[in-house]
Amino acid sequence: MLLKRLLEYVGFEPGRLTARWISASEGAKFASTMDEVTEKIKSLGPNTKMRDEIL
Amino acid sequence: MMNLTKQIREQAKKLLEEKKVDLVIGFGQGTELARTTPVFIDSPEGVSALTWGPFCANNLAKYLIDYKNAPGNVAVVVKGCDSRSVIRLLDDNQISRDKIVVIGVPCAGQLEWQKVADEIKPDAALKETVDNGDSFVVKTSTGDHTFNKKDYMLHRCLVCENPNPVIADFTIGEELPVKNYAERFAEVEELEQLGLEEKSAYWDKQFSRCLRCYACRNVCSVCTCALCVFDQMKPMWVSKRTNLSENTVFHITRAFHVAGRCVDCGECDRVCPMDIPIRKLNQKIHKDLKDLFDSPTPGSKQGLLSALGEFSLGDPEEFM
Repeated sequence: MLLKRLLEYVGFEPGRLTARWISASEGAKFASTMDEVTEKIKSLGPNTKMRDEIL
Repeated sequence: MMNLTKQIREQAKKLLEEKKVDLVIGFGQGTELARTTPVFIDSPEGVSALTWGPFCANNLAKYLIDYKNAPGNVAVVVKGCDSRSVIRLLDDNQISRDKIVVIGVPCAGQLEWQKVADEIKPDAALKETVDNGDSFVVKTSTGDHTFNKKDYMLHRCLVCENPNPVIADFTIGEELPVKNYAERFAEVEELEQLGLEEKSAYWDKQFSRCLRCYACRNVCSVCTCALCVFDQMKPMWVSKRTNLSENTVFHITRAFHVAGRCVDCGECDRVCPMDIPIRKLNQKIHKDLKDLFDSPTPGSKQGLLSALGEFSLGDPEEFM
């Protein structure tokens, strides 16, 4: 929670980082979380922050 | 101020003469009028090197770590902010209580020496400093100078939480009132209000200046790892390249490594040769810790667990 807020504070988009607590028995939750994450990241597009110098 | 200097010297002399301690770490006059340097005194004759005034910004508690395995006891002169470091070091089991003697000095704030040095002739000799509540009067051989605290003091001192040491075996001088502490997060809040692009641009501008000199890490009283991740070569967790992306990784990692233990002494900010506002990163974490977990500033009380080292059922759980 602290790291997420810190990243947003230095200029990362909210939602770029996701942390979820998922037990090994919660397969469905894992799948739906991953769907959510991929959808969110796709809508955010490629990350441009900190990428400028990497070819 | 002269009076306090005298009292500190007397206390140090007494401790050394009675063999209660083998070493006293204190502030000594530096090469310039507006600077002090840490002094390490091991004999009662040496105590005249000790001084006190509005130029004692260093956090001497850091040096206690160097003596944790040394035989003998060490006394250290601390301000309110430094005393939080002492508590944090004790709670982290870095130093043992029976080996240290804390000489606490209530502190009326520290001036930014660069700003002061700009206004005083370089060949002037320091005679005396007087605290007038809202200003310091610095008496020198070339005349008296008045420095308004609002304009000349370190920002961390303007919003000081503990002017009085929170741990001390001996307290020198009288206790001082807390001022303006409620405004301590004003700068962070201002930054939080900015849009994403603006925030990103602001920090890119700051981080791109970083030289990776690691002064902020070296001065930090809670950076106590024997092998630092930033030095480690195998595996090399953080690249040593000095560019914007690696610098960003360094600063975020550094801030997060001390999260929940950082005592907000503001030394990292002060020593940065590139004037990167490092403390604004740490203060953001302090603010979130306060908002989310209602945790007090680390080191402000003895026996506090680090905020990231304890769990209670009432904690907010955004990640469930």
